[in-house]
Amino acid sequence: MQKYKPFLKALRKLLITIVLVVLIILSIRVTEPDLVKLVSSFPKAESIMGQLLSPVLFDRESEKITVSQMVPVPCDSVPSLVSADSGPRIILDPPCGSPKDVINLRGVELPPNAEISLRWILPDGGLLSIKNIMTDDKGEIDMPLEIRPITTATDGKAAQISFEVTLPNGKLVVAQTLKDVIDAMFVTIFMALIATTLGTIIAVPLSFLAASNITRRGALGTGVYYLVRAFLNIIRSYEPLVLATIFAMIVGFGSPFAGVIALSITTAASLGKMFSEAVESIDTGPIEAITATGANRIQVVMYAVVPQIIPDFLSFTIYHWDINVRISTIIGFVGGGGIGYLLSQRINTLQYSQAGTALLAIILVVWALDFLSSEIRKSLV
Amino acid sequence: MLKVEHLTKVYPGGTVALKDLSFEVSDGEFLVIIGLSGSGKSTLLRCINRLIDPTEGKVILDGIDVTASKGAELRHIRRKIGMIFQHFNLVKRSSVLTNVLNGRLGYLNPWTSTLGFFPADEKKRAMDALKRLSIDDKVDSRADALSGGQQQRVGIARTLMQEPTLILADEPVASLDPVLAHSIMQYLEQLNKEDKVTVICSLHYLDLIQRYATRVIGLKDGVKVFEGSPAEINREKFKEIYGEEAQDVRATALE
Ligand SMILES: Nc1ncnc2c1ncn2[C@@H]1O[C@H](COP(=O)(O)OP(=O)(O)OP(=O)(O)O)[C@@H](O)[C@H]1O
Ligand SMILES: [Mg+2]
Repeated sequence: MQKYKPFLKALRKLLITIVLVVLIILSIRVTEPDLVKLVSSFPKAESIMGQLLSPVLFDRESEKITVSQMVPVPCDSVPSLVSADSGPRIILDPPCGSPKDVINLRGVELPPNAEISLRWILPDGGLLSIKNIMTDDKGEIDMPLEIRPITTATDGKAAQISFEVTLPNGKLVVAQTLKDVIDAMFVTIFMALIATTLGTIIAVPLSFLAASNITRRGALGTGVYYLVRAFLNIIRSYEPLVLATIFAMIVGFGSPFAGVIALSITTAASLGKMFSEAVESIDTGPIEAITATGANRIQVVMYAVVPQIIPDFLSFTIYHWDINVRISTIIGFVGGGGIGYLLSQRINTLQYSQAGTALLAIILVVWALDFLSSEIRKSLV
Repeated sequence: MLKVEHLTKVYPGGTVALKDLSFEVSDGEFLVIIGLSGSGKSTLLRCINRLIDPTEGKVILDGIDVTASKGAELRHIRRKIGMIFQHFNLVKRSSVLTNVLNGRLGYLNPWTSTLGFFPADEKKRAMDALKRLSIDDKVDSRADALSGGQQQRVGIARTLMQEPTLILADEPVASLDPVLAHSIMQYLEQLNKEDKVTVICSLHYLDLIQRYATRVIGLKDGVKVFEGSPAEINREKFKEIYGEEAQDVRATALE
């Protein structure tokens, strides 16, 4: 028997290797990695990434000079108006056209080097963006304009072509998107803060009940100990994401409250477990000493246990707040409100630059909190 | 007056730490317990103030059955029994003052003391105790910033707060060097002689036994194998208590 031992060992290693290889092959087949698609969709990815990486932060304050010019389509549909001959104006050549015609569009006496958004005002009052264009040094633009069928005059009303000028020397202002992102970020941070606070308040008593050195005494104590531990373990096996989805269905999508409930519950469970381990690892010497002075159970806990666990408890709590901020950004995606919800909305509506703003905010906040929490925890030791 | 009657302790694992142990201690004695590691010294001391519940037998202190008491009655008995530990058992993160005040918890209103409030006269009592042990300059230090000898003095100051009639000292000097050991033993001797506190102390060093004990009890595997004055401990007795192997090492201390 002894003789075969090395052989058996080698066989076991071989078997383990084979099982691992089979598992890896299986997982590759299940996850269907498509490298060709990854490469072929590169141009699309480049555009999305480009937008994500140029987040909207500031806007130039715009002075809304609007200049418009009626465009009869087709030419005899409405009497064309003579355009003004001074001031910012649009000159069309020819001044009218039929669908699919390309006419020449000139803008003159506009502010130089200003961004202009060019659009149709349709006969029914609807707007149709054409493009954004910059004026030259002389404050002019000159470009071909295709007449679209939708601009055909109806009920004796013609479409108009219109400029909106954003002045180049306008003040920089915080973009509305950035304001929205900051608001949502605060919602997320406070969501995490409230959830951590509630979770901690629930976790503290639970952790003492789940600590063998405090609770596991006598039949009643032992029963409570196992019950609380089992309870914590069951709750801990639910991902906050799953709970958040369930609560979002109950209290409504996009409501931070759903996220708060879900996070509080998971925080209570996981801090309860961490706290109880901190309680179990304390030095029992002081407990013995203070019990021996004739102090009662509560006094023993206050004077022998609490001073020993406070640094750990604080440090775990701060660490968990940090984690909760990360989780709440994700929880937003499943309807829990805050920055994650905003991000998912922007992505769903293909506003990638605005999604980029949200991403940037998440990265900055997570990084800052990580730094802050590790600094605070260091000072607690 | 302390009476220990037929004390037996069997731990859950089945270890018999004390076997039918009986003895008496008169007020004002300085009783030293000796014995090998594992002979049951710590178990005995902890049965006296019920940190450990004995399996059988009785401990009777001043006519009160300690082994039958519980709840508030037990806490009142413990108040009068000070305890000193080999590893000091201070709350390391708390200040020296708080550690000393901890010794008074049994006398204080449980509600206000739970909230961390100690009356001014108790703080003064704590300062006096620290002065008596010449460690009042460290009152605001954290306990773990102190040396071993200093920590043990804080431990004794904590015990003083109890105004004890009996002190149990479980190898109080085993983690200190010989010079410090004497200084700590002298504080215990002072309490014994001046304050008339009965002391029961487990010790390992023969010179300390000879110097401080008024009476000695030797334990071996939980059984009392010696009881007498320190002067009676000769080579033979020593061999009996500590076993053949220990003889060479320990007997030299007798010369
Ligand atoms: N909590 C416990 N559970 C089980 N057995 C224990 C426990 N505490 C002590 N014992 C056993 O009881 C016996 C006596 O231990 P005790 O600590 O009283 O001896 P001691 O004389 O104080 O030894 P030392 O000099 O090493 O402190 C030993 O065999 C020990 O292993
Ligand atoms: Mg011991």
